[in-house]
Amino acid sequence: MTEAAESLKQDPREIGQQLRPGLWQTINQRYPSSMITKADYVPLARLMKPLNEARLTLVSSCGVHMKSDRPMDVCHPFGEFTFRRVPSGAKHSDLIIHQLKYPHDDADLDINVIFPIERLQELAAEGMIGGLTRNFFSFIGYNMDPERFEQTVAADIACAVCEDEQADVALLVPA
Amino acid sequence: MGHHFGAPFHSTLQRRVVTEALQLLRIAEASGTIVTLPIKWADVRREAKLLTEQGKRL
Repeated sequence: MTEAAESLKQDPREIGQQLRPGLWQTINQRYPSSMITKADYVPLARLMKPLNEARLTLVSSCGVHMKSDRPMDVCHPFGEFTFRRVPSGAKHSDLIIHQLKYPHDDADLDINVIFPIERLQELAAEGMIGGLTRNFFSFIGYNMDPERFEQTVAADIACAVCEDEQADVALLVPA
Repeated sequence: MGHHFGAPFHSTLQRRVVTEALQLLRIAEASGTIVTLPIKWADVRREAKLLTEQGKRL
């Protein structure tokens, strides 16, 4: 085996190991107030109709939005307290990500790696899903005031999902 | 981070992750159920490199 091949073999990314074990414990210690903790038990909400009759929405913290929309504030130290509606019929070329907190180079090539809008369009067209809501939802996950975030962004998105969009199912995707 | 549904242009894998997530609606017995898929990121990266080199979708 060549030296290069031996080096590749030992690369933790190639053998599926975490690059920095314990990283998340470190982040929890560094930003303790940024972690939302819930002691309350949340019961399972069962789907009341078959998936092929259900209307699905997508909610993501990836920070994607329409190119025509106002960009989100990615520099504020406390985070952004607004969200964006993304038309469910949008294409990759309609969308852009403004985010500094995770690598989105590959999402810039293909938005579906983090916001699978085109895969959901296909599943709806094939009838596996009953349909899609008119809009999907996006916000920036970085936030240092989780209580305010819960009372504003989270509550507003939940209201929009249930009342405006009449969704039966929400696919929640962190970034 | 940033690749929860796989790699760019790997629509087969993206679709698989979405459909597996939706299957939870049918099979989950309790809130907070976690399903670990038998997908290795190392394998996905290799396939992604190949796709990028080939410049086409699966």
